[in-house]
Amino acid sequence: MITDRVTYEQLLGISGCLALALLAHITTLPLWVPAIVVACGLIRLGLARGGRGAPPGGMLVTVAVLVVPLLLVRFHTFNGLVAGTALLSVAAGLKLLETRTRRDIYIITLIIYFVSLAALLEGDSFWLLAYLIGVCWLTTATLLRLTSSGPAPGWRRSLRYAGRVLAQALPLAVVFWLLFPRFAGPLWQIPSDSQTAASGLSDTMSPGDITQLALSDEVAFRVRFEAATPPNRERYWRGPVLDIFDGHTWSRSPTTQGPSPLKPLGPAYKYTVMMEPHRHRWIFMLDWPSTWNLPRAELSSDYTLMQNEPLLRPVDVLGASYTQVQSTEPLNPRTRTRDLRLPAERNPRTKALALELRSTHADDMEFLQAVLAMFAQQPFFYTLHPPALSDDSVDEFLFNTKRGFCGHYASAFAALARAAGIPARVVTGYQGGTLNPYGDYWILLQSDAHAWTEVWIEGRGWVRIDPTAAIAPQRVERGLADVASADESLASAWQLRTRWFSGMRLRFDMVKELWRERILDFDQDSQRKLLEFLKIPEPDGQKLVMVLAAAMFLVLAWLTWQVRRELVPRSTDETARTYARLCAKLASAGIARMPHEGAEAYALRVARLRPDLAGSVTNLCGQYSFLRYAAPSTSVTLGQFQAAVRAFRPKASGQSSA
Amino acid sequence: MVTLRQAAVKQLRARVIRRHGRDSLPVSINRRRIYILPTRFGFMLGAILAAMLIAGLNYNSNLALAFAFLMSSMALVTMHHCNRNMLRLSVDATTEVDAFAGREAMLEFELRNGSRVDRRDIEVRCMSGAAMDSVAAGESATIEVIAPVAQRGVMRISQFELRTRYPFGWFYSWTYVQGSITVYVAPAPLGSRVLPSGSAQGAGSHSDARGDEDFSGLRAYEPGVPLKHMAWKVLARGGEPVVRSYSSLAAQPEWLDWSKLDGLDTEARLSQLCLWVLESDAAQRPYGLRIPGKELAPSGGAAHRFACLRALAAFGSAET
Repeated sequence: MITDRVTYEQLLGISGCLALALLAHITTLPLWVPAIVVACGLIRLGLARGGRGAPPGGMLVTVAVLVVPLLLVRFHTFNGLVAGTALLSVAAGLKLLETRTRRDIYIITLIIYFVSLAALLEGDSFWLLAYLIGVCWLTTATLLRLTSSGPAPGWRRSLRYAGRVLAQALPLAVVFWLLFPRFAGPLWQIPSDSQTAASGLSDTMSPGDITQLALSDEVAFRVRFEAATPPNRERYWRGPVLDIFDGHTWSRSPTTQGPSPLKPLGPAYKYTVMMEPHRHRWIFMLDWPSTWNLPRAELSSDYTLMQNEPLLRPVDVLGASYTQVQSTEPLNPRTRTRDLRLPAERNPRTKALALELRSTHADDMEFLQAVLAMFAQQPFFYTLHPPALSDDSVDEFLFNTKRGFCGHYASAFAALARAAGIPARVVTGYQGGTLNPYGDYWILLQSDAHAWTEVWIEGRGWVRIDPTAAIAPQRVERGLADVASADESLASAWQLRTRWFSGMRLRFDMVKELWRERILDFDQDSQRKLLEFLKIPEPDGQKLVMVLAAAMFLVLAWLTWQVRRELVPRSTDETARTYARLCAKLASAGIARMPHEGAEAYALRVARLRPDLAGSVTNLCGQYSFLRYAAPSTSVTLGQFQAAVRAFRPKASGQSSA
Repeated sequence: MVTLRQAAVKQLRARVIRRHGRDSLPVSINRRRIYILPTRFGFMLGAILAAMLIAGLNYNSNLALAFAFLMSSMALVTMHHCNRNMLRLSVDATTEVDAFAGREAMLEFELRNGSRVDRRDIEVRCMSGAAMDSVAAGESATIEVIAPVAQRGVMRISQFELRTRYPFGWFYSWTYVQGSITVYVAPAPLGSRVLPSGSAQGAGSHSDARGDEDFSGLRAYEPGVPLKHMAWKVLARGGEPVVRSYSSLAAQPEWLDWSKLDGLDTEARLSQLCLWVLESDAAQRPYGLRIPGKELAPSGGAAHRFACLRALAAFGSAET
């Protein structure tokens, strides 16, 4: 009979599914949350194994009273994604503990479904999606074993059935996914967990900051150029521009003005930047951006593209930039003051050096060339492992250590320029990039992070000078990988990159990029393109819904057919099937075959009721009898019979339908 | 809420009768008579699916949306599967059922599955009973629904229900079959009076009287006669089926008579008569039944017993 009690087997199944669903959250949840759930599961399973039921309610209450405040202390809220997931997981664990009947298991399956979805709100890989669909499949199969009367069907059968339901659901899901209207922004503010740290460059730069990035092979962003690609030495991707120097650390000043106008001197490059979420506000654009298609972003006065909120998910920006420009307006006096400021008590030897050089080089450009020449001629080294520097970092670097990474050179160069009365600032960002020939786009890794300087030259405006080019020109020409240096860490970084850029990795990255472009970034615009592809004029939201309805109708019709198809008993006998078709045709013409009637008797009755059909029906039934009962003959073949039945189209007649 | 639902179900049942009329069993369940609704679990799933969809849209996460749509589509497919689980199932029922008042009636239903898929967890609900079973592809299954019956009489059941929650318990589909089943509820066999004997020596000489030497002739076969009384030789020669008649069988029929039970009220009389019928039958003695408005000639065997019990069940009702 029907029993509602849960068995050990069923408990084991559902506990397994819950554990698998939680596994998708293992990196984000604090470890004690899954630990509690696993403990609950083990206790309940142990009890069930010993033939005992759920523990008393008091124990549950105790656990809940202990755990929920713990969650609150840890997250301060239940509104965030991670906090909510943690709460749901604990709820599922407690439910597991008190599971008595099927209804309790039903609740757990619902939690499993939702927790699986929550994992997809954070993650974005194909494998995660595939894994979670697997979990959902398994959970649904468990459900099938649960709802059956009598002995539960075996795992294999259940999995096959649930798999078939999943497969039949797939076309409908694809139609929904493609055509369900997307909104431009979130429906309401997404509660953000301040858990995940920002990555990549920050808006301050101390000596040695960028070296930490140099060893990372994470992708910062990808770029696809529309037509022309700028040469390597012009591919500077502008990030935060730092204009305040305290003698040790460079930082950004808050700017309120817009950018000053520029006159382009070279061609504009059109490209798409595919940003990875880095949780900062800036978007890395090529040198001097002129256009971009991000609605909630604008250029700051130093030409960095800033969004009005941190970048939390991947975004594509279609933009255009110049690499050679000229300012049409003189430098704003306030900016000039700011960009000349050096802390009074710091780096005295640097200031002295600048004044000394300035006395022999009156021209700004000549002075700067002299500084670069000094970097090239004196024993300065380009290294990933520079010694730590004190508060007078520039003095120490220029006169003692002489070993540094791009940040050190940019910092020292800008300080020298300022000391000589030339407005200067440090620009951080990325430089170069590696072409992925499989996908025809450029990959910029964190190790491509770079720092350079911009100096104000009267009559020309801001001019980019990269002091690293003086000490390690290969770095700028070909990227970090090719810097021939005895420096060990550089060599290892180089090896790292070689591994990264082996064909497999590039191919893999290409697939990842396609996944991102086609799936993750699918939006209103993509839907519009889809409708255009379907040759629908002037696509808009309303038409989208209409197409969705039409497509759903088709898929549901297919589904109905697909599901009911199996109800028709399959006859392996072709002859019998053809005969059944003949009978069906006659039945729809008004004369159904009686169950007891043989072919000959049926033909006679048809002939009596419908003299107009007599000839053909007698002939067809005769053929059937021949095929069925006579020895294999040459007079009639199955093919002929089938063709004749196919061609047979009796007309329904009103008076003979009795 | 519950009463509202009950009212709706009642209305639906009435409408089903109006729309489909009576069914002649066996009946094949077509798609027009299958209804489907989400279960409570199904409604909860619906709420979760809506939450999933909103979360996906709000986070603008295409993967989350893909998952939410896949789950929603699975629910839709499941609806089709739930509906299919009953579709084109052929249902038959035993139309005449005997029972005793105060005990259970065993209602037999036969489900025939001519398709290529198993039909799992089909529940038949009839009167106050319900039973569930599965029917494998191309096979049939008998489902016995046990329902308690309290009152003596003839019950006419005009409708029974088939229901299934297969496959995942998210939906339940159901159908009403307008098949008529008659339940003859005989009175509860109760009473303290001694079984009457036709003559004084009847009871005493009973055992010798059944000896073969008391053979008194042949008479036509009727169902219910013990097989060992069959005249097989006559049948083997190609004659009509006849049974050997014995003097004790032929000579001493006992009349179980309503009028001899003075001092009891109607139901008690019927109960006593019922007990006597069963006792006589168990003792394999011929008996006749005489109640107001009906008289059954003395005989023996199962058919006669059923006839008597049904006569007792029908007593006082329009049914005879």
